Amino acid sequence: MAEFIERPRYACALGGALSTLRAIPGAIPIIHAASGCGYNLFNATHAGSAYLGGGYCGATSLPSSNVTEREIVFGGEDRLEEEVRTTLEIMEGDLYVILSGCMVEMIGDDIDSVASKFHHENKNVIAISTPSFKGNSYYGYDLLLDGLVRNWIPHAPLRKEKAVNILGIVPGEDVFWKGNLKEIKRLLERIGIQVNTLFGEGEGLSDIKHSSQTSLNIVLSNVYGMMAAQAYEEVFGIPYVIAQFPVGYRQTEDFLRKIAELLEIPSHLLEQVLEEECRIYYDYFERFSDIYTDADLQRYAVVVADANYAPSVTRFLSDELGWIPKLTVITDILSEAQKQILEEQFEQFDSGLKIPIRFDTNTSSVRKYLKEVTEPYKNQRYYNALTPLVVVGSILEKELSASLDAPLVTISYPITNRVVLNRAYAGINGGLTLTEDLLSALVTGR
Amino acid sequence: MNTILNNTAPAREERLKAGIAFGGTCSQLQDCISKGCLGGATRSFSQTYGCQHSLSLGILNTIRNAVVIMHSPLGCGASSVLSSGQQGAAFQKLRDPLAEGTIIINTNLDELNVINGGENNLREAILFADREFRPEIIIAIGGCVPALIGDDIDAIAAELQSCVSARILPVTCEGFKTKVMATAYDAAYNGIMKKLLGTVNRFHPLASEDYDEYQRNYVASRSVNIFNVGSMSKADETELERLLHAIGLNVTFLPCYSAPKDFSFSLENALNVSICGTHDDYFIEYLQQEYGIPFLIDTIPIGKKNTRRWVLKIAERFHLEQEAERFLDKEENLLEESLKPFRETLNGKKVYLGGGAIRIAATAEVLQDLGMQIVGLKGHHIDHFINPVLEQLTGMEDTTFHIATQQPFEQVNIVHRLKPDIIVIHSGLNNITTKYGVPILPLFGPTFHYMGYSGAFDIARRLVRKLENNQYNQNISKNLKLPYKKQWLENDPFTYIKEA
Repeated sequence: MAEFIERPRYACALGGALSTLRAIPGAIPIIHAASGCGYNLFNATHAGSAYLGGGYCGATSLPSSNVTEREIVFGGEDRLEEEVRTTLEIMEGDLYVILSGCMVEMIGDDIDSVASKFHHENKNVIAISTPSFKGNSYYGYDLLLDGLVRNWIPHAPLRKEKAVNILGIVPGEDVFWKGNLKEIKRLLERIGIQVNTLFGEGEGLSDIKHSSQTSLNIVLSNVYGMMAAQAYEEVFGIPYVIAQFPVGYRQTEDFLRKIAELLEIPSHLLEQVLEEECRIYYDYFERFSDIYTDADLQRYAVVVADANYAPSVTRFLSDELGWIPKLTVITDILSEAQKQILEEQFEQFDSGLKIPIRFDTNTSSVRKYLKEVTEPYKNQRYYNALTPLVVVGSILEKELSASLDAPLVTISYPITNRVVLNRAYAGINGGLTLTEDLLSALVTGR
Repeated sequence: MNTILNNTAPAREERLKAGIAFGGTCSQLQDCISKGCLGGATRSFSQTYGCQHSLSLGILNTIRNAVVIMHSPLGCGASSVLSSGQQGAAFQKLRDPLAEGTIIINTNLDELNVINGGENNLREAILFADREFRPEIIIAIGGCVPALIGDDIDAIAAELQSCVSARILPVTCEGFKTKVMATAYDAAYNGIMKKLLGTVNRFHPLASEDYDEYQRNYVASRSVNIFNVGSMSKADETELERLLHAIGLNVTFLPCYSAPKDFSFSLENALNVSICGTHDDYFIEYLQQEYGIPFLIDTIPIGKKNTRRWVLKIAERFHLEQEAERFLDKEENLLEESLKPFRETLNGKKVYLGGGAIRIAATAEVLQDLGMQIVGLKGHHIDHFINPVLEQLTGMEDTTFHIATQQPFEQVNIVHRLKPDIIVIHSGLNNITTKYGVPILPLFGPTFHYMGYSGAFDIARRLVRKLENNQYNQNISKNLKLPYKKQWLENDPFTYIKEA
C-alpha cells in the first residue's frame, strides 16, 4: 500500500488528465465526479504551474456532473448522460472527453457505455477512466494519451519517414512544457526531422489525430510517457526510443546524435547543425565569462526536482556551469527499477563529481539529507560551510533556502513565485535561459 | 433549534434550505426565500465549482501551528500549493512573524486502500506529523474516498490522541455530500467545535488582588470576537478593529490565521460577531447554546450604510449607540469628502456583480452610493441571510438576481444581455469574464481592502483605476473566443435550471 506524502508535488490522475486536456485547444473535458474535483484540480495546476489559468474552457467552465449522495447511492450514469447531452448543446468543441473521479469509479458507473450512446449521433465523445486512487498527475497524462490512442486516434494510411512524436513532457506538471516542446521541435527540425509535440505552440487536436502517422516516438523521460508510448506501439506499431530530457548544449548534442543515428540523418547535416548551435551557445557563454569570474559565481547547489529535471539540471550545473551539486533529491513516486535507471543518469559526469542522490516524496526530508552529506557544524574554529549555495527546486524549498540563506531558483512544480509563458529549460536555448535565471538570482541584489 | 454536535455538520440544503439554482429578479427571489421554495432546484448542465473540502481548507489552512492531513487520494488538497508555497505563510506572518506557513500531508490513498481501508495511512501520517513538526494541532480531513470505504477519522483521532502531543482535530468533508459548497464552513467549524473549545488555561498568579480580577472581567465584557473570512485582508481587519476601538471595544479575530488556543480564549469575550451570514451561523449559534455567548449576524460591513448598520448593531449590545452615532457621522463626512473626485467618473456606469450572495449585495451598496447602476447580481447560493443586506439597496425590485455557484455559462449569457460597463467578480472564472472586454474589479482579495469606510474609498479608487485603462481586457475580447456556442447566448439563460 502507498504511504502518505508530506507536501506532494503532484495532484491525482484526474488532475494530470485535466492539465493535459487543458493543453489541447478544442478538447472539452466532461468530468464525472463531485462538484469540487474540477475546480480544486484547476486551482492546483493554476497556482502550481506558475499561473497557468483556465485557458479556453478550464477553471469553472469545465463541465462536471457534480454528483451528490443521490447518485452515489443510485448510480450516476443517468446524470452523466444528461450532462453529456447538455454539454454538446452548449460547449463549442471538437472532442468531448469524459473523465471520471474516485467516487463514481468506486460505485462502478460505466462511463464507456454512456459515451457509446453518443456515437450513433456521430458525436466526438469518448470516455477515459481516470480514477485518482490509481496514480498521480504524471500517471493521469499517460492514462489520457493511452485513452486517446485506443479510443480516438485513427490508424494512418501511411507512415511518414523521419517523423516523430514527443512524449514524456507532461503539460502542467512540467511548468515549462510549452517552451520546452518548442525548443525540442526546433532542434529536431534543424536536422530534418518532422516533429509533432502534440501540445506545443500552434498544435492542436488535428496534430494529435495525426500522431499515428509518425515513424518513431521519442519519450523524453525515463518515467513519464512510457505507458503512452507502449500504447502507440501496441495499437499502431510505432516504436519508441527513450532519451534523457536534455538541458544545455552537452546533453542536447548527445540527444541529437542518438536520434540522428536512429533515423539515419546524414552526418554532414548533423555536424553542421551542431557546429552552428555550439557557436551560438558559446557566444553567450563568452558574454557572461567576465561576471562569472570577477564575482566568482561558481556555487554549491542542492537540486530538488522531478525525475525529468533532477538528473538533467544536476548534470548541467556540474558539467556546463562548473558548479558543485552537493545533493539531488528526486521527488516522484518511483519503483526500484525506475530509481536504478535514474541513478545511472548520474554516472560519468564530465566533471568527475559523484553526486549524492536521494529519492523521497516528503518535502521535509531534504533538510535531513543535507545534514547527511555535509560536515556538521560543531562550533569548530574553522568550518568548511556549504556556502555559497543555490537551491534549485520548487516553491516548497522556500523555507529551506531561506534557512540556508541561499537564493532559490524554481524549476520544478509547484512554482508560485513567477509567471511562466514560453520560457524553456530544455535544449540549447533552455540551457541559456536556465543560466540566465541562475545567474540573475545571484546579481539581483545589485 | 438546538445544534447537536455530531461527527459531521449537516448539509446546508437541509439545515437552511439553501438553494443553488434560481433565475429571476430581486423581488421574485425574496418572494421565493420567504416561501422556502429554493431548496431542491438543480441543473441539467453544470460546471465545476468548489466542494466541502476546498472551502474548509480555506479556513483550516490558515490556522497557525497546525499540520493539515488530507485523508484522500493525491488530488484532494492539491490546491493548497498556493498556501503551502508562499502566500499562506506571508498572510500568517502578518499576524505572527514567526509563523511558518501551512504544512499539508496527503495520505495518498491508492487502489489497495480502496479495497482494504486507508486508516493505517492516516495513523502513520498523524504520528509522522507529530514527530516531525511538533504542531499544536493536527487537522485530519476526510475526502470522498474515506467516506465511501468507511474509514472512521473520529475514531482514529480518539485512538491516537494519547500517543501524540498535538491535539487531533477530525474534520469530515466529503465533496459529494452537498451541492452547497458553503457547507464547507460548517464542516470546518464542526472540527473546531469538537476539539478546540476547551477550558482556558491562563497564567494564574499565586496571589491576586480583587481589582485585577475586576479589571480582567471588565476588559472581557468589552471584547468582541469578529469572525473573519479567508477572503479578507489584514487591512480589512485593521479597519474593523479601528471602528470598534473607537467606541471602546476590544477585538479578537477568528478563525482565519488564528492560533489554536485563540478559540478557547475567545470564549471569555462578550459577543460573537459574524461579518457574513454565509460563514458562521452554525458555529456561533452553537457557542451561544453551549457557552452562553450572544451573537450577531446581520450585514457585512462593506459600504457606508452596511458599515453604519453593522457598527450600530454591535454598539447597541453595549449601550454605546450615542457614542457610535457621533463617531459614525464624523467618519461618513470624511468619507463623503474623499469620494467626491471619483463620483464624476463612476456616476451612471452600469455594473454587474458575481460571487457570494451577501458579499455582492453589500458591495453593490458601495456602488449605488457612488451613483452606479446595478444591472445584475449573481450569488453562489441563497438563504435567508441575504435579507438584511438586500434591505440596504434601493430600486432593485426588477434587477436580475441569479443564483449559481460560478456557472460561467449562465453568466456569459446574462452579461451578454445586460451589457454592463464594469464587472465586479469572484475568482475562478475570469478566463471567461475577461473575454467580455469591460473592466473587471475582483470582488475580494486578501491583499486588497474592501471593508469599512477606508474600504469603500479603496473600492472607488480602484474602480476609477480600472476604467482609466482597460486596454488589456479589450485586447483579450478582440482576439479570443468563448467556449460557448453562439446560439447559447440567444437562449433563455435559465434553460438548464431544473425545478425540484
